[in-house]
Amino acid sequence: MRTPIVDPERRPGLSRRAFLTGAIAAVGGLIGAVLGGGGLGYVLSPLFRRHGEEWVDIGRADEVSPGAPIKVDFTVRKRDAWTTVERRASAWVLTADGKQFIVYDPRCTHLGCPYRWDRDLGRFLCPCHTAVFGVDGRVVMGPAPRPLDRFPVKIVGGRIMIRPEPVKSERS
Amino acid sequence: MKRILDWVDERLGAGPIWKALFARHVPEASGPAAWFYTLGSASLFVFTIQVVTGILLAMNYVPSADHAHDSVQFIETQVVLGRFIRGLHHWGATFMVVLVLLHMLRVFFMGAYKYPREVTWLVGVGIFLLVMGFSFTGYLLPWDQKAYWATAVGTNIARQVPAAGEAIGLVLKGSEELGMATLARFYAMHVLLLPALTAGLLAAHLFLVVWHGISEPPSRSGGPPP
Ligand code: HEM
Ligand code: FES
Repeated sequence: MRTPIVDPERRPGLSRRAFLTGAIAAVGGLIGAVLGGGGLGYVLSPLFRRHGEEWVDIGRADEVSPGAPIKVDFTVRKRDAWTTVERRASAWVLTADGKQFIVYDPRCTHLGCPYRWDRDLGRFLCPCHTAVFGVDGRVVMGPAPRPLDRFPVKIVGGRIMIRPEPVKSERS
Repeated sequence: MKRILDWVDERLGAGPIWKALFARHVPEASGPAAWFYTLGSASLFVFTIQVVTGILLAMNYVPSADHAHDSVQFIETQVVLGRFIRGLHHWGATFMVVLVLLHMLRVFFMGAYKYPREVTWLVGVGIFLLVMGFSFTGYLLPWDQKAYWATAVGTNIARQVPAAGEAIGLVLKGSEELGMATLARFYAMHVLLLPALTAGLLAAHLFLVVWHGISEPPSRSGGPPP
């Protein structure tokens, strides 16, 4: 039954031991690479995921009368891994001509207070530290460092769609 | 490379340990019988795979009745290579049982459990029970219909024990109904308790295997093999 022990002097070249060592290293390396590579991809998975908010429908375009900003509330549904989180949010919507729309982030660019529209003054007023913004979003007065931030907006089939990630306005 | 190894070895003196573990003498079997000797190492290998893939799965799995199933779906559909990793763990689990059983059968039929290796065998029996535990607790975790009802059946079987049955069922399920509490404790057992116990028993098992050396294949004559 027993196979004769290989005489080391008998055959030149690759010994059985060297062959097996090499084979084990090769197969082991392959398995390690598959497992390690696969595991790495798995762990780094978040890097490959699609980021960014979806467009949100915040209402009908013809409900905003030209020259009169209105505050609209809407719900943002955001995917958080396998769950969907809902968040209430709002924005100031205005239009000059019913075609071009501007949507402002409702948080003051000073320290984040919700400002309001003053119809008589035609300005946005912040109650916290008296920042004043014009209809165009520019700082008229007060401590705000930059104009109002805007949401990307588009009109689709008469509906106002925004992406609920404010674009920081440039300092002016 | 050689110089680095020599440097380390000069300080640790690990050479003899390496020799004892990897350059030890093993039985000189050939043919099919030789393959039977690989079953223990194969079990160890698959166990390692289970540990690695299990850790990865735990990064995206949540053991809660209202999230478990969705988090598994998330792994399947959203995570890069998630299907692959879960597949490895799934088939590894199945294969593990097969390998450990075959290993046990080879030890049994070759009489390798006999003096002086009884303790190795007993530790092995412990490991086998732990493997069964892994299977039972892991099966519930996907929290789909199959998982739920399989565990319902499993826990109901445990409840058939005379007198203590109800108590055993309660402790297993963590509450009257199979639900949140069951999932939480099965998860804890699957990823904390059982791995810790298995690591301990495996260390003892492998130590004993090296300590005794591996037994020769049995021979008819009773003497050393021809
Ligand atoms: C996770 C499960 C297990 C692992 C990783 C494992 C690992 C090993 C390894 C690597 C060996 C070396 C020899 C060989 O591979 O045949 C071995 C030997 C042995 N195993 Fe296991 N084993 C496991 C389960 C079991 C079980 C369930 C039993 C029996 C109840 C058992 C009983 C033994 C005995 C008695 C030996 C000594 C055999 C000899 O000296 O010839 N093992 N085990
Ligand atoms: S937060 Fe608006 S002025 Fe300070």
